[in-house]
Amino acid sequence: MVDQSIASPVKVLASASEGDRSGRARIVILFLCLGLAAAVLLSLTSGASDASAVNVIRDWLLGAVPRDAALSARDSLIVYDIRLPRVILGMLVGAALAVSGAVMQGLFRNPLADPGLIGVSAGSSLGAVAVIVLGTTVLAPVTALFGTLALPLAAFVGGLATTLVLYQVATRRGQTSVATMLLAGIALAALAIALTGILIFMADDRQLRDLTFWQLGSLGGATWQKIGSVGPIIIVALAAMPFLSRGLNALALGEATAGHLGIPVQRLKYTAIIGVSAAVGASVAVSGGIGFVGIVVPHLLRLLIGPDNRYLLPASALLGASLLLLADAVARTIVAPAELPIGIVTAISGAPFFLWILLRKRGVIDL
Amino acid sequence: MIEARDVSVAISGKRIVGGVDFDARPGEIAAIVGPNGSGKTTFLKALSGDLAYTGHVALNGRDLSSMKPVEIAVQRAVLPQATTLSFPFTVREVVKLGLVGGRSGALPGEDARLPERALARVDLDGFAGRFYQELSGGEQQRVQLARILCQVPAPVLDGKPRYLFLDEPVSSLDIKHQLIIMNIARDFARRGGGVVAILHDLNLTAMYADRIFVMHRGRLAATGSPQDVLSDDLIEKVFDCRLRVGVLPAGNMPFVLPQSSGS
Repeated sequence: MVDQSIASPVKVLASASEGDRSGRARIVILFLCLGLAAAVLLSLTSGASDASAVNVIRDWLLGAVPRDAALSARDSLIVYDIRLPRVILGMLVGAALAVSGAVMQGLFRNPLADPGLIGVSAGSSLGAVAVIVLGTTVLAPVTALFGTLALPLAAFVGGLATTLVLYQVATRRGQTSVATMLLAGIALAALAIALTGILIFMADDRQLRDLTFWQLGSLGGATWQKIGSVGPIIIVALAAMPFLSRGLNALALGEATAGHLGIPVQRLKYTAIIGVSAAVGASVAVSGGIGFVGIVVPHLLRLLIGPDNRYLLPASALLGASLLLLADAVARTIVAPAELPIGIVTAISGAPFFLWILLRKRGVIDL
Repeated sequence: MIEARDVSVAISGKRIVGGVDFDARPGEIAAIVGPNGSGKTTFLKALSGDLAYTGHVALNGRDLSSMKPVEIAVQRAVLPQATTLSFPFTVREVVKLGLVGGRSGALPGEDARLPERALARVDLDGFAGRFYQELSGGEQQRVQLARILCQVPAPVLDGKPRYLFLDEPVSSLDIKHQLIIMNIARDFARRGGGVVAILHDLNLTAMYADRIFVMHRGRLAATGSPQDVLSDDLIEKVFDCRLRVGVLPAGNMPFVLPQSSGS
């Protein structure tokens, strides 16, 4: 709540910027940058092995001659080829999911829209599973043509198709019905999951084990090669989204009013849908179904800095990246030396949070 | 000048507005009146570019359908009947959205002060830090008016008049704020801009409108000055209500007219 105390001595000073939360937003973003740096350090230094990232980083920074060359080489291998790609992938996926959530919420004018909840992730999964299972048979020409890009591309197409259908079904004359959106999302997700089920039924044993783990969500398979194939997609999508922020702000007033303010609404909507589908598709392709990041992160940030997308989108990217790294650190260490799928960690913490949002908003959100 | 010729709008195959000719001139308030469901809002939406129409609409001499949203936004602002927000924006943030798309035309460096001034004009001094969703309907309506005053603060830009489209701007306001808002509209027109307003209160209409367009069943029933248009016969025909113009209530029955405010 904004402080309205009448006797405040800073009242006169405050009135010039009263209701302007951009200053606070900038400070929060600064702290989020520091938080992300801390999360990166934590992720690099923690894990099932006792490899010391601190030593590796020190050697790297100082160019010092390692005391024990063999141990140092092992540590450096673990940090550079296992932990570092995992950290980078975690940041990319966390940022992509959180920003996609924020953009979708702006697009649907509703704080409950989330790629995971309304079937977009399920559509992406269907595309990805199709490539995994059918990649050597029916879809062999596709995998031959696109190589390692086939998987993220299929996930993108699956997510895009779902989002487009969803938008067409849920939006009528510029008004998006939340009830229709959520229910249509359930229907589309059910359909995508059923089709995925058929594919899984056709899968062989080895594919099956990969699929199960992948569907629960994991950053475990992070390699530099995977970063090379999905990293550019996510980075381009994330880099495009800040250009939507002013339009998304205007869209909060309704589609017609956004148009009256000079926003090219149709172009905005389709750019947002394509950007979200690309970011979610690429994330799903490498890390499976990691839920709730897209709804928890923007919601927390709106409480802190307000709904202005010019600050909400970058802040979501930073907090999403940090939170996913922390969730991954938990997933890697809590049952060490085994590893929990990260999707379980985000769901166990995110689902109660989602219920809490619903409780707070009961009576405010008109379903 | 806004010129609409033979404008018709059909929604889901049903004709809502048929063959309307309409002009909004700079320096004037053009009021659209008519009973509920007579097509007033639909016509204004066609004029705003929200609905597909047949016929021809020109904004300052250019065909509306050939203009980009941002070009239109520089020359006209639209106040909808009611605006609900999906996220907790503060009043200042909502008013600043008026600056989001086009070009306010304010002097460099003045843009930052526009929200403050616009809020003061609509009698919402000190509301900048409040949450929009926590305001009353009338206050929300005035915040939206402040927003469009940020969008087109000066009634004339580059020698071209700008326009305010107001859909029932005073319907949820108390009498004091009805007068404040209508005076803002009149001032905008006197300084060279144009105003198109849908109004329900015939007394306010008579007081402020330079020209009245009466709509009835999707068509134009009459056009002209308040003196020409507001007659017993027209009101009976259009509103289906036997009323007489300029007749005082009998005996000691009190009545309060906006005209008595002395302006």
